[in-house]
Amino acid sequence: MAEMTRRQRIMKASLKQKTDKLPFFHWWRHSQIGWAERECRNRGMGMNYERPSSVSSLKGVDVTEKQIYVNGQKIYRRIYETPVGSVYYDEMREPGTFQWHGDRSWTDVTPWQTERLIKGPDDYKVVKYLVEHTEYQPYYFPVEQAKDWLGEEGLVCEMHPHSPMQMLMIDWVGSEHGRFFIHYAKYRDVVEDLYQAISRSREPMYEIAAKSPIDVVLGGDNVDGVLVNPRLFEKYFMPEYEKMAKVLHAHGKLLAVHMDGRVGVLKDLIAKTPIDIIEGLHPPPVGDLPIGEALKAWPDKVIWMGFPGSIYVMGPEETKKHMLGVLREVIPGERLCVAMSTENIVSNENLLAMTSVLEKCDLPLTPKQIDKIEKSVRK
Amino acid sequence: MGAEKHLTALKDAVVRLDFEGAAKAAKEAMAAGVDANLAINEGLVPGMAAVGEKYEKGEYFLSELVVAAEVMKESLNVIMPYAKGGLGARGKVVIATVEGDMHDLGKNIVTSLLKANSFDVIDLGVSVPPQKIADAVREHKPDVVGMSALLSITMPKMGETIEALKRTGLRDSVKIIVGGAALVPEFALRIGADHKAANALEGVKKCIEWVSQKERRS
Repeated sequence: MAEMTRRQRIMKASLKQKTDKLPFFHWWRHSQIGWAERECRNRGMGMNYERPSSVSSLKGVDVTEKQIYVNGQKIYRRIYETPVGSVYYDEMREPGTFQWHGDRSWTDVTPWQTERLIKGPDDYKVVKYLVEHTEYQPYYFPVEQAKDWLGEEGLVCEMHPHSPMQMLMIDWVGSEHGRFFIHYAKYRDVVEDLYQAISRSREPMYEIAAKSPIDVVLGGDNVDGVLVNPRLFEKYFMPEYEKMAKVLHAHGKLLAVHMDGRVGVLKDLIAKTPIDIIEGLHPPPVGDLPIGEALKAWPDKVIWMGFPGSIYVMGPEETKKHMLGVLREVIPGERLCVAMSTENIVSNENLLAMTSVLEKCDLPLTPKQIDKIEKSVRK
Repeated sequence: MGAEKHLTALKDAVVRLDFEGAAKAAKEAMAAGVDANLAINEGLVPGMAAVGEKYEKGEYFLSELVVAAEVMKESLNVIMPYAKGGLGARGKVVIATVEGDMHDLGKNIVTSLLKANSFDVIDLGVSVPPQKIADAVREHKPDVVGMSALLSITMPKMGETIEALKRTGLRDSVKIIVGGAALVPEFALRIGADHKAANALEGVKKCIEWVSQKERRS
């Protein structure tokens, strides 16, 4: 098979077509730029971007931000004032926030919310007002720019926020002190009402993404079956994925969803979704579903796996060993792409260790070939 | 109504995740003169145990564990003022999410389950520096130290905390249990923890086992 570009490899694997090598890439938001990154890219690593295809505006709402101190800690408070009341959230920002890729801090950490937008049942109607007064407009420049920069080096994906119920669970109500679950148990009507409002408000965003010059739309859902149990997944997540997929597929786009947690309990339900790419799937020990088992369980899906940060912590030798273990599970290596990380920055030495294994993965993979790779990377 | 019926009502309210029912059952039990300790140990604790069993069987999920602990609190708010002389604690645990990590869901579930199993829990909160945990161990003299981390970049703080305990000569006075989705048992071993909890229920069982062994030895 003729040698493919990195973009072709990722795209063809995502379309369940045969590729010359196992595609592997780094997400720009977690990637250092420097000698190790350059060397890895020279040895076959691709680079993927996430870019939005729309801009949103909030109408009829006064938004202000101020800096306050809570228990001696510097906090940023963002306040939304609407005709039906006001809400705020508090956020702690590490040094470098908004200066590193993707608005992250120098250590690649997103801001921590110390107070959520929704604290009690009265806040739901205010947040519903925010949702119903959010408008989306197409803005394709960021996607076009990144595509121009990347060329054949990798893929530009459209990044979408958490799906409606996940937005409540993770972002607006939050799971601290079990708050979301308690609200869901005590005030289910208002929770569901807001969920429906978010779902309706997202429809124009899906249309804009479907018509944008990208191939893959990534729903950044951070699904974890421990938090998102099968009952919640079936009732609130699957219908939204169906809605997204219907619009995207009509325009020839692929739907990827970020599922980086323990999704073993959701395995059968995920198989029933119209999602094309399960993105960020982590093998054990971070996830609980081995990649080989996931590929068997989802014969019509592609996996872009994320490599576990807790293995990187153990060093480059453990990293190589773990990646080789995954390769043995996924023989012949089809319907799979490997992301260096979907969590945090990868050290130079771990990035090189991963590349030393993945650069040799001509497809189809065989046990003999993996033995050979193992011998070649052994210290 | 005999005490038995009140105890069953308390247990059922927890299992059904019934906030109003839990408060009502507690009020009725106290009005009927049911002993507060009995109401907790023979009503609420078995209720939480039944919820735990359902969780282990896959009938209930984490959401139900969280809500059940909150339902139990509704009853405890009513019952605690009647518990003269306080409730005897089975053991003491200092618990924290390590420095740099703000995730508290797992820690809070473990805390609720420990309390439901009659542990005295000193919850230091989230993003707790190693020295602060060591200081709390010196002050409270717990049986167990529990540390939680969700992020792989904060996992090393667990090791630093154990080092801080060693430096201050406190390491051998406590058992150390660590937990969090990203943790691997090898890492727990490497940093010198005594146990890596597979999940909240298993972690609490390990704490019970440790304090029971300690009781038998003393």
